Amino acid sequence: MKVSFRGGVHPAHHSKRPTQHLPVEAFVSDTVRIIMSMHIGAPSTPCVKKGDLVKVGQVIGEPVGALGIPVHASVSGEVIAVEKIPYLGAQPVECVTIRNDFADTWVELNPLGNVESVDPALIVPAIKNAGICGMGGASFPTHIKLSPREGQQCETILVNGAECETHLTADHRLMLENSDRIVDGVRAAMRAVNAKEGIIAIEDNKPDAIKAMIKACHGRENVRVQVMRTKYPQGGEKQLIEACTGKQVPSGKLPLDVGVVVLNVGTCAAIADAVIDGKPLIERITTVTGGVRNPANLLLRIGTITEDVIGHCGGFAVTPGKVCFGGAMTGLCLPNISIPMAKSTNGIVVYSEEEAASVEEDACIRCGKCVSVCPIGLNPFEIKLAADKDDMEKAKSLNVMDCVLCGCCSFECPARRWLTASFKMAKQKIAAQAKAKGGK
Amino acid sequence: MSLITSTAPHIRSRLNTQKIMLNVIISLLPCALAGIFYFGYRAAIVMAVAMVSAVAAEFIWQKLAKKPVKVNDCSAAVTGLLLALCITPTAPWWMVMIGSVFAIIIVKQLFGGIGDNFLNPALAARAVLLASWPARMTAHIAVTTFPGVDVVASATPLAGGEASMLQLLFGQVPGAIGETCKIAILIGFVYLLITKTITFEVPVVTMLSAFVLSWALGMNPVTTVLSGGLLFGAVYMATDYTTSPMNRWPRVIYAAGIGCMTVLIRKFGAYPEGVTYAILLMNILTPLLDRMLPNRVYGHSRKKEAK
Amino acid sequence: MQEGNRISNLKKVFTNGILNENPTFRLVLGTCPTLAVTTSAINGLGMGLAATFVLLCSNIVISMLRKFIPDKVRIPAFIVIIATFVTVVQLLLQAYIPSLYDSLGLFIPLIVVNCIILARAEAFASKNPVVASGVDGLGMGLGFTLALTLIGAIRELIGSGTIFNMQVMGAGYEPMLIIVMASGGFLSYGLLLGIINALTNRKQQQKEAE
Repeated sequence: MKVSFRGGVHPAHHSKRPTQHLPVEAFVSDTVRIIMSMHIGAPSTPCVKKGDLVKVGQVIGEPVGALGIPVHASVSGEVIAVEKIPYLGAQPVECVTIRNDFADTWVELNPLGNVESVDPALIVPAIKNAGICGMGGASFPTHIKLSPREGQQCETILVNGAECETHLTADHRLMLENSDRIVDGVRAAMRAVNAKEGIIAIEDNKPDAIKAMIKACHGRENVRVQVMRTKYPQGGEKQLIEACTGKQVPSGKLPLDVGVVVLNVGTCAAIADAVIDGKPLIERITTVTGGVRNPANLLLRIGTITEDVIGHCGGFAVTPGKVCFGGAMTGLCLPNISIPMAKSTNGIVVYSEEEAASVEEDACIRCGKCVSVCPIGLNPFEIKLAADKDDMEKAKSLNVMDCVLCGCCSFECPARRWLTASFKMAKQKIAAQAKAKGGK
Repeated sequence: MSLITSTAPHIRSRLNTQKIMLNVIISLLPCALAGIFYFGYRAAIVMAVAMVSAVAAEFIWQKLAKKPVKVNDCSAAVTGLLLALCITPTAPWWMVMIGSVFAIIIVKQLFGGIGDNFLNPALAARAVLLASWPARMTAHIAVTTFPGVDVVASATPLAGGEASMLQLLFGQVPGAIGETCKIAILIGFVYLLITKTITFEVPVVTMLSAFVLSWALGMNPVTTVLSGGLLFGAVYMATDYTTSPMNRWPRVIYAAGIGCMTVLIRKFGAYPEGVTYAILLMNILTPLLDRMLPNRVYGHSRKKEAK
Repeated sequence: MQEGNRISNLKKVFTNGILNENPTFRLVLGTCPTLAVTTSAINGLGMGLAATFVLLCSNIVISMLRKFIPDKVRIPAFIVIIATFVTVVQLLLQAYIPSLYDSLGLFIPLIVVNCIILARAEAFASKNPVVASGVDGLGMGLGFTLALTLIGAIRELIGSGTIFNMQVMGAGYEPMLIIVMASGGFLSYGLLLGIINALTNRKQQQKEAE
């Protein structure tokens, strides 16, 4: 049975440059710039200085705070700079630049061995030490997800292989090429929190991946594949939980409150690497597509500079208007291409100037399309009216804080209104107001 | 190299306001052609006058009010065409023009323009014309028929004229330009569904509720749904975005209200036809319905919502 | 000097009712008779004059009695006074202009509850001397009459093609019946109100610009 959720849209998947058939190839550049805040939580503190020689897997950023995770060198070589660079957000971030000596000398690893026999208590620390955070885009530290608080019990490890975003095929290729590793990771996560079942959820537009994962699950304890209808945002955490378990995460709560932990397939593979081989997270698969000459699925070292990646893919095929990390529905725009990719960068998509041209906002015609596609059940047109009037109280009472910024309403709006953008601003404003109030 | 940065999503669906309006116009073509086929050149003149004066009224208003001129979103043209299709082919040009101008200026622009009108402009204009010149509006003419078929009387079936089921279906009955040929309306309905311009709920529930209630009241349910402007109203007028509810259940109630009110007006009211007033009445209830039955928000319990 | 001041004050009170605080277009009071009887200019005029008479007399009498009426029962007292004059008007109309009496019908006795009259009694006559109250009643009444006659004339012109029963439109004119129906009353009143608001807004903007 195929499962799904309410609302959602069908953005033209892989409309122009399909990449799901392209095998993953490794690309290592001569310089990497590793930023210290790739995860949600306090940035790590650099613990190397200019001129230091580092090995692959060596810790170069110490974790800070409860949500902190370490950052590792992804290549071996010489640290040539430790500085603040501009990144996707408004604030510049700390960054360690390493010149690759291409010797690939690793630090000594501490493998734990088979996921079925390892002591469950060792799994979560191993995940933390490997610097793993959500690789689907949200970059929440994984060891926190797998540490239930008192009174919480994780029943289900839900593995997100939906890859509902446009353009992206990184997870798809991973499921095809490394299916056993993913299942190993699921098992490790299940054992760590004593979960009863593991569900690997995949959209039905990836039959080959479904087949591969079913095969990999064969003979493994309590792990199964769940086929879902192809619809965006099927891979959104809340939608995934609703589709696969029928439960809804209460407003303002976490998936663990309904006994579910959602992990991306890439995260699972990284968990397997961390447990079985003791390897930290130093590389990931990233789809490069859109206006580049040769679209590809690349295995990139964390911190590879966007410009190098695009160069490796034959350079721009169009006059670039926008370059984004992630798919078209939620991707983040880069201010320039010297920005390095991070642990959660699942795709680099180039849009031509025409595609990137700003669209003019028209009057709302109350067609109700935004209402029918909203997977949360909000009234986007109404929230937008409140947000435009800067009426945050009204926006809040219309549940703008439950908005997941999936972009469905903006995508569908025939009047081309900037719905999602204004909700993002409203959410930030309301959060800032709440913080200011709490501070007093 | 300068890159544009903007908030996601970076792609938009192909359907925009103008394309939606064009879809509606395309879906109305079968009705328009059937009208010209049955009623001759006069139907074409009525349609031309209505569309031109609606667009002109919108243009002039937006110029005078110093608002951005948006006549190329085609919404005024749709209003004009809808108005023409729901009035009689004998309507004089000045009446059609007054209707179009009333629809655009008073019903649409005075309430804030596209998306802010609380009544369906074309239908409201039709109601005004009907109240103002009742004799003109009900001066129906006999249709030109296929060879070998008797000319039908020039009273509409609802007003006592006789018509067979097939004549009702193909539109060989007197009536408004666009409402008689049910086959043409159904073709347009299918087109609107395929292009995802409208959803099926409102037309289907409207027809169903009219069918059931007329049956229960001892009327001939098939004649009820096939005669007059019920089908045309259900497909083109009741589905107007701005004046119909957005959420599913309010939509169903709204549509059922239209179907039932139509039958009640036909059965007990002073008018032989009640679609116009039924839809206008439910238009007014639309905001209330949407507010009374809001969507359930993900992760909120129903009880909390009730507070 | 004082005399001159008083007269200019009275002038202000008088014109106030006709223009700045026109009960129909600016205060939006007495909308029920406004909508109901303005199907022709003559009806509007008749209604306006009848209300003016009541307003003038009731304002004067209430102003004279303002120091005797206890505060607690002032509204019933006002109503009794107003009703007296309404009865007078009703009987006069019935006796001398039966045609107008017939066309205004129920709306003549309803003048008793016309909120303009009660509002002026409460807001003006019960606080001001007799002469000023009389002038206020006259101004308000004439403002009401003018507004009703204007709406009536417009509705009559469009809805029947005549003004004061004189054929204005050509023989080929087909009157727009809705305008003389109840819904037409709302439409024309609303549109006139909108136009007048737009005009005054523009005037104010010009003043501010200066």
